[in-house]
Amino acid sequence: MAQRITIDPITRLEGHGKIEIFLNDEGDVSNTYFQIPELRGFERFCVGRPVEEMPLLTNRICGVCPEAHHMAAAKAADMVYHVDPPRTAKLLRELLYMAFYCTDHTTHFYALGGPDFVMGPDAPVAERNILGVIHKVGLEIGGKVIQMRKFGHDTVEIIGGRKVHPCTSIPGGLTKGITAEQRDHIEEMGKYAVEFAQFSLKLFTDIVLGNKQYVDLILGDVYNHKTYYMGLVDENNKINFYDGKVRVVDPEGKEFVKYAPQDYAEHIAEHVEPWTYLKFPYLKKVGWKGFVDGMDSGVYMATPLSRLNAADGMATPLAQEEYERFFGTLGGKPVHQRLAIHWARLVELLYAAERWLELVRDPEITSPHVHTIPTETPTEGVGIVEAPRGTLTHHYVTDERGLLTKVNLIVGTTNNYAPISMSINKAARSLIKKGSMVTEPMLNMVEMAFRAYDPCFGCATHSLPGQMPLQVTIHDAKGEIVDVLKR
Amino acid sequence: MRTIIIGLGNPILSDDGVGWRVVEALTPTVHRPPSTVVETASLGGLALMERLEGYQRAILVDSMETGQSPVGTVSLFPLNELPNAAESHSASAHDTSLLTALETGRRMGLTLPDEVMVVAIEARTVHDFSEELSPEVEAAVPTAMQAVLDLL
Repeated sequence: MAQRITIDPITRLEGHGKIEIFLNDEGDVSNTYFQIPELRGFERFCVGRPVEEMPLLTNRICGVCPEAHHMAAAKAADMVYHVDPPRTAKLLRELLYMAFYCTDHTTHFYALGGPDFVMGPDAPVAERNILGVIHKVGLEIGGKVIQMRKFGHDTVEIIGGRKVHPCTSIPGGLTKGITAEQRDHIEEMGKYAVEFAQFSLKLFTDIVLGNKQYVDLILGDVYNHKTYYMGLVDENNKINFYDGKVRVVDPEGKEFVKYAPQDYAEHIAEHVEPWTYLKFPYLKKVGWKGFVDGMDSGVYMATPLSRLNAADGMATPLAQEEYERFFGTLGGKPVHQRLAIHWARLVELLYAAERWLELVRDPEITSPHVHTIPTETPTEGVGIVEAPRGTLTHHYVTDERGLLTKVNLIVGTTNNYAPISMSINKAARSLIKKGSMVTEPMLNMVEMAFRAYDPCFGCATHSLPGQMPLQVTIHDAKGEIVDVLKR
Repeated sequence: MRTIIIGLGNPILSDDGVGWRVVEALTPTVHRPPSTVVETASLGGLALMERLEGYQRAILVDSMETGQSPVGTVSLFPLNELPNAAESHSASAHDTSLLTALETGRRMGLTLPDEVMVVAIEARTVHDFSEELSPEVEAAVPTAMQAVLDLL
């Protein structure tokens, strides 16, 4: 029968995120390693299955962004079957995706990234969470966040058939459209999303930009890296999350390459390090030069900030104003300061909300023509979307029956594995100096370096307690562990 | 009293899917809406809290990695005995903990369960894609089912 036990938190850390900090004889940081667990065997799991299962299967890879995998998989499956979905199907998929973006970016800002700024990096740990934000900013803010999330979930459910894990995208389009009544409901929810995004940007302006200490923190050198930047753009080089070409700009902001999804393998390669199973993607034509900044290093970043850097602007008017204010305030393009990712995320939140309204108001959105029946023999396809955490690539090859023979994924966070590692290293070197005590606020400042990227390790739904704890281990010059900070 | 039973985890990630297996087996016996609802979910934090809205009691069935108990051990405890990661040094990489989410929801005036019980099954493998459970975890499914039934 069931027994009653008490859980020791330390024992639950195995296999989760780890930061290892090595000190030298002088007590300065000599090196850092950021290790994250890799889920194994996905390709083997998929091979032999029908490709049309992939939009359902891949949205189980990750508990955080199933909608992104659903969309990338559906687009890859469209290409495998050489089928172009009807316009309304594309509009609806993108509309679902905008609702997901609003939910996801909201959650990151209010539950995770925001507390560092709203409460301050030095605030006691027990206050650096959404409850602290509510306590400081006011109870009504919690209600707004919950409402925004509810509207996001409801819209995903109407179009996607289920909350969180949509199931309606198939090769050639969607299994169902929406009614006029559903359209009206989604439009009302979209209006709220725009107001909420504007409110969030105002909050950021008042609390963060109005505080010189925070502005100095954002603009300072601790969180600054000059790398290449990646993001999906439309035909006008404006940001698009659902479709377009992948554009990469160099550390000076000039276009380095713009490629169609099916050409990704010509441009992206993966570097292997002995201390981690996860690979480090880099720009093939620049080459891997190690964990270093600059024009000669193939390290690139794919985040909200990267997308703003890689595009020429936003495709919606209010977001475009915020885009201009963003670069105007931070000294022009490209912006290299990693903590600015938080602000960029809110600019994107406003874009997603405005785009939500644009899409739902399209006269064809209630058309019943949401599926083109595939008639050609399936072969190979690549689907790329912008996941909230970076460019997401799905590549499938099938036999003539549509059964998978090869699967390759480059997921959002993987793009950023090298830059996250570099950010942690730089923050640790800047903050931990010889002989100084390693304090909790100091470690939080190191963690802020990786939190800005909103990294996703597919851990969010794994086992209790349903989140990813992190362990920081500090080693002395002999490699002996001198301090372990966890949870 | 409205009760929700949720099988948590990822059904394609080996033992992480055990929560789904347990509640799917229970569904024909205990799913009696609106008083007792049985669901599966791959959620945590705020999203899981939102799923609990409107219920007085919740039972969560999930895999667990303590490394202390033999694989397949079934444990039963109230949620608030889990250490709350959001209040300690390194919070979640995403979202917040369920405990913090529940507290947030309550302050917002949402109707949320006063009692959240967890039935947890010690897992072996949660990082490999598979629809199969480890033999010890598979063997624990009836025990976990009984643990849920005993709570009702």
